[in-house]
Amino acid sequence: MKKRFYTLWENLIRASGFCSTLLVLSISFYLFREAYGLFRNSGVESGYSIFVHQSNPIQEFEPDTLRKIFNKDVRRWSEIGGIDERIEIFSLSDLEKKFKEEALGPDLQFVPEKVWEYSENKPAIIGYFPSKLLDSRHKTVAVRQIEFSDLVFGDSWFPASSPIASFGAASILLGSLWVSFGAILFAMPMGLVVAIYLAEIANPRMREISLHFIELLAGIPSVVFGFFGLVLVVPLLKDIFNLDQGESALAGSIILGIISLPTIISITQDAFLTIPKDIKASSLSLGATELQTIFFVLIPYAKSAIFAAMILGIGRAFGETMAVLMVTGNAAIIPESFFQPVRTITATIASELGEAPNGGIHYEALFVLGTILFVFTFLLNLIANFFVGKKS
Amino acid sequence: MIPKFLFLVLLLCSSARGNLYAQAIKVKGSDTMLPMMQLVVEAYLKKATNVDINLTGGGSGTGITALLDGTVDLAMSSREAKLAEKMKFKEKGAEIKFVPIATDALSVIVHPSNPVAKLNKDQLEDIFTGKINNWKEIGGTDSKIIVYTRESSSGTYEFMKENILDKREFAKDAISTSATAQIVFAVSQNKGAIGYVGLAYVENIVKPVAISFDGKEYIPPTFNNAAKGIYPVTRPLFVFYNAANESKVKGFLDFLLSVNGQKLITHKGFIPVNWQ
Amino acid sequence: MKESRVQKQKLITQKIAFGIFAAISFSVLFLSVLVVGFILVHGIMKLSPEFLFSKPEEGMMKGGILPAIVGTLLLVIGSSLVAFPIGILSGIYMNEYASKNYIHSTIQMMTNNLAGIPSIVYGLFGLALFVNSFGFGMSLISGCLTLGILVLPLVIRTTEEALKSIDDSFRWTSYSLGATKFETVFGVILPMAFPSILTSLLLSIGRIAGETAPIIFTVAAYYLPEISFSLSAQVMALPYHLYVMSTSGIDLNASREIAFGTALVLMILVLLLNLGLRLVKKFFQKRNS
Repeated sequence: MKKRFYTLWENLIRASGFCSTLLVLSISFYLFREAYGLFRNSGVESGYSIFVHQSNPIQEFEPDTLRKIFNKDVRRWSEIGGIDERIEIFSLSDLEKKFKEEALGPDLQFVPEKVWEYSENKPAIIGYFPSKLLDSRHKTVAVRQIEFSDLVFGDSWFPASSPIASFGAASILLGSLWVSFGAILFAMPMGLVVAIYLAEIANPRMREISLHFIELLAGIPSVVFGFFGLVLVVPLLKDIFNLDQGESALAGSIILGIISLPTIISITQDAFLTIPKDIKASSLSLGATELQTIFFVLIPYAKSAIFAAMILGIGRAFGETMAVLMVTGNAAIIPESFFQPVRTITATIASELGEAPNGGIHYEALFVLGTILFVFTFLLNLIANFFVGKKS
Repeated sequence: MIPKFLFLVLLLCSSARGNLYAQAIKVKGSDTMLPMMQLVVEAYLKKATNVDINLTGGGSGTGITALLDGTVDLAMSSREAKLAEKMKFKEKGAEIKFVPIATDALSVIVHPSNPVAKLNKDQLEDIFTGKINNWKEIGGTDSKIIVYTRESSSGTYEFMKENILDKREFAKDAISTSATAQIVFAVSQNKGAIGYVGLAYVENIVKPVAISFDGKEYIPPTFNNAAKGIYPVTRPLFVFYNAANESKVKGFLDFLLSVNGQKLITHKGFIPVNWQ
Repeated sequence: MKESRVQKQKLITQKIAFGIFAAISFSVLFLSVLVVGFILVHGIMKLSPEFLFSKPEEGMMKGGILPAIVGTLLLVIGSSLVAFPIGILSGIYMNEYASKNYIHSTIQMMTNNLAGIPSIVYGLFGLALFVNSFGFGMSLISGCLTLGILVLPLVIRTTEEALKSIDDSFRWTSYSLGATKFETVFGVILPMAFPSILTSLLLSIGRIAGETAPIIFTVAAYYLPEISFSLSAQVMALPYHLYVMSTSGIDLNASREIAFGTALVLMILVLLLNLGLRLVKKFFQKRNS
């Protein structure tokens, strides 16, 4: 009896051991599962079709071209190789303005006829209607399905747009990278200096006190940092640099830098503290000053760990949500300067997930972003783990 | 052993309170409507016992989505339902009632020191789509126009897009905020900023702009102008619900539309809907 | 002669360099003071029994944040109940039962990676699995499961380290006295690891209480007039409340004040946990020496 009890427990323990592996696998599975549906879609609102005039030679639309047409960035068919006529956009709401409710029928059953009536003699027309309200007379045109390259290289992110949604995430991906690298640019040198100071120069009492402050910094929730950034950093930056607006990649980088500092400091400090004493001793005995020892002996010795700290710092910054959401301005533009607003992957998911209907295309697109985020941080972690283990 | 015991306790608690929660009316959606809804909820709960109401924001889009998914009872929306949404509801076999509960004037706001005090529809469209990006093009100082907008989940955003932007997209470099108050705060701090918020949110730290749709008469967004229908950018604020669920939400809805409920709505700066 | 002058120069450079290092270090430490101090100064006025123990009123302009405090408390308890049993058992497996082969290192790598996953990804996963797939909807159970998974790697790692640091001699002694592996692990080793487990509890409380992204889509509500303890209920939570207060509300001044108050409460929570950690370390250091 007791034996049965023990084996039961031991099996439970064994099962628990695999829980983290199981979790990683389930998370990957779910992310991919909810995401891949995006690539079977073209972005056109579900249940809707696009039609053109019989004489229009177009066989298939590129999603981006369609977007430009409906956003009135492309105004004439000649711009995309057609006749030199102004493109006329025609939709159900236009139809409702032209014909009375009775003419359309209570169940909208007369709509196909009315649509044909209106569009028959208009070669420059392009219409979007619920597919059920069109019939075989209308020349419906297919739209190419979204491909991964559209997502990664396209720079128009309009996920809820009608009739065609655009999922060009280039600006968002670059936004995340931009802010993360900016954060490291700020945090790495400072973190390194602090770690070296604490490990090599400061006396033990100083070291202990500093550790408390750093632990404190590490424990502050990111939403508090975001709030701090919103209320203090953003207005301050605007005043100091005389900017048009304080919400910027710079604000994001500063806050993220502060958030990643504890990580960088503790890993680097640990690395320095575990350097064998004789390495330092031999350098000093050869006549080098402590400063020279640090720069020419210790840092090179710990360079793997320092690199790992940097990678983990980037990972931490890349995955941060609330702080960037509150200070970067969330504008989906390709970042060219630190003074411009940016939009990160994390902020996009956090802002938009609530309105994305479960299983819809917007939902799938956000899961694709989430997958990219997951894979990227996973890779960063692998790299960092590899370098933490290395001793040069 | 202790975890097991705690779990049992929790389970007991949940079954006790759970009944009340199961009956809780879940309300979700428009950020614009949150503060006024909260006031009404507080007042209603003082009258009606044995009822609980949960209020969550996130933008009109989130409320409509949740109603579609069946996870809420009332969706707050500062815009009409899109045709596509209506069709989705139909597909699910749900009959949705759209109840206007207040009227709101959409105000375009700028910094108090901005010399520009009136704009026509075309100018507004060009500013918010990014076509015009310097204030001097519309009679202001030579400085960049910083556009503040809401996220796409916002009913206010959709309303702006439909009615002012002629369905075009906002400028890509417009700064996206998650809630109205952020826009008010940002515009109050930024001389070159322009944004759009519900009338109720306009404080004296920002300046609302008079708007004209015909280029002749410029009408400032005031409570009276909006109530009389003179101000061109008014919109009804709605509550959507599934007709099948009517009995659960009827009490609260009736209170919303009653004299007292509407008084509270007015108290927060919104225009009451005509009640019988 | 020449040598000493060069040496002197080097020493001066070093002194300057070290001075700069110290200055930079102090400014980093000053940063933490800045953040804490700023919130303290602006939030202290709001802190009163009324704020802490009453519900929000007047459209969030008056009243307090009690539901948010209670909600955070519930999330902490629930998530810990999810994470600790599994996490501790997992740590025990890794250190006491698993053979140190390549499966072991793979699992360790997986745990490390789990620790590095951004919190919003946990939010996505929680939404997809608990809220949608399992059908729990936005509820306390969804939130606790999501946050529990988030904090799991922390628990596993701390348990592993704690067990590793206990010298094997204790295990041999126990075995030699006739105890089974089970009795040794649970009766001797685990109790010895208690201070570390306490530490990891405090750390995870801090983590859970501060997370916003995972709870936005799994449990958080803007306003709950009644505080309910049901597993299927939504809750208000401090970090979400801070986020909402700092970005919405009609009267900017009033909501800002409440936001500062909420931030301060969170900050105080963090400070208390920090203090708790230090006390635990000191107490058990004394006991062990």
